[in-house]
Amino acid sequence: MSQDARRILRPELGGSVPGGLDELTDEELSGFAAILRVAKKQQSEQLGEAIDEALQIVPRLLRGTIRKILFG
Amino acid sequence: MTGYLSPAVEVRKLARLIGADAEDLAYFERLDGQVIRDLRDQVTVVLYDTDRQLLQRVATATKLIPAKLAAVIGERAFGPLLCARVTGLLDPSRAVDIANHLPVTFLAALALHLDPRRASRVIGEMPPATVAAIAGELAAGEEYIVMGGFVGHLSKAALLAALDAVDDESLLRTAYVIEEKQNIAALVALLPDERLDDVIATASSAELWVEALDVLDHVTERQRGALGDLAAAQDDEVLDSMVRAALSHELWSEVLPVVRAMSPESRKRFATLKSIQARRVLQTIIDAAAEDSLWAELLVLLPLLPTTARRQVAALATSFDLGLFAQIVSTAHEEELWPALIAFAAELDKGPRREMAKLIDGSDDDVLESLLGAVHDAGLEADLVAVLRELPATAQRRLGTRVATAPAEVVQALTGAADAAALEPFSKALTK
Repeated sequence: MSQDARRILRPELGGSVPGGLDELTDEELSGFAAILRVAKKQQSEQLGEAIDEALQIVPRLLRGTIRKILFG
Repeated sequence: MTGYLSPAVEVRKLARLIGADAEDLAYFERLDGQVIRDLRDQVTVVLYDTDRQLLQRVATATKLIPAKLAAVIGERAFGPLLCARVTGLLDPSRAVDIANHLPVTFLAALALHLDPRRASRVIGEMPPATVAAIAGELAAGEEYIVMGGFVGHLSKAALLAALDAVDDESLLRTAYVIEEKQNIAALVALLPDERLDDVIATASSAELWVEALDVLDHVTERQRGALGDLAAAQDDEVLDSMVRAALSHELWSEVLPVVRAMSPESRKRFATLKSIQARRVLQTIIDAAAEDSLWAELLVLLPLLPTTARRQVAALATSFDLGLFAQIVSTAHEEELWPALIAFAAELDKGPRREMAKLIDGSDDDVLESLLGAVHDAGLEADLVAVLRELPATAQRRLGTRVATAPAEVVQALTGAADAAALEPFSKALTK
């Protein structure tokens, strides 16, 4: 695993690359890093959209309080 | 094979976690299964940490609304993946309350994304009937990996209910991919013999011996024996299919320990199966024994094989080197299997018989003592003499002098056998 591949993968894995991945090519590791990046991005986007939709369902009376809990 | 993690299975779990196709991650199969498991654990942490603060706030906000409304929001707005992320952050009894208002299909979809370790208390408090319904959904969707992840977290009542809800094939496939292999023994302990009988029959009819033998590799020795006995009580076709699977998938290292754990009657039935008499099958059995040092497993089988098959094994053993014979002798000593070894050694060709004789001649006093005692108890003096015949006269005299210090009845019986075989140097040294 080259330093470049390690640099690309590290942030997607929370700051450290586990051992044992040396058998994979740089191309494979970069591809995996891209998949992880998309998975995290999609999760965050879905969460934002879900919260917006949830606030529409919550009774008007509670909406302000819940918004405050969620967004401070 | 205990502790072995299949790279292919681990890749499927990793792919599931990040929403990718397993085929797109096939290159990971070149790695050790444990490496992929460790990587998945790290990715799980990353995904759960990505929106952790916001997810925690969602869990806090959920406390303010009725469980029924939380369920509606979960189903309509959040969907199964995000609900799975929140589940472990909820108070367990609250999470169960909400789950009671959600349809089973939704809960099953949620289960696909849940990391059971992060929601263990919630899973443990789920009502058995709900768990059974979810298990049925997951089994229908062939989500065995997901089911396997839950096994160690369910209450006993829920596990029993789930076992009733899935068919034998699903059960085998789930056990094969179970997350914590040490839970397999507890799972098997919950199944009555009638169900285990059916599962074994299914291993045969659905060609799932790879899965079934992996299960047998992870149960206790007592369970392995009991399951082996149940298998041995089935029709020839069932056992023949196991032999075929062992041959084609190189599974003798899993089968031989099962055979060893069986009762003597079951072992005999296995040893006399026509399907294991073929030279090709015997060769693969011996190869597996040599590769994984399964000599004790082989030695308990040998005396039960029909004469022709035993002679074939003896002929195949001609290729063994001194190192392998030394391993076998050491195993016979440690596992108290001298009678099986000596009877087998007497059937070996001249060359390997000489190697065995040399090993006996060079053995330590305690090894020799245990060998002589076992041979005497089993009345195998003639077989031992047939082996020692291959030693040169000087070695026979040397060994005879050592053996002469054994108990009188042992020396007397051996002398008789040596005289009958006209093994003069050995006999003279014994009586000197």
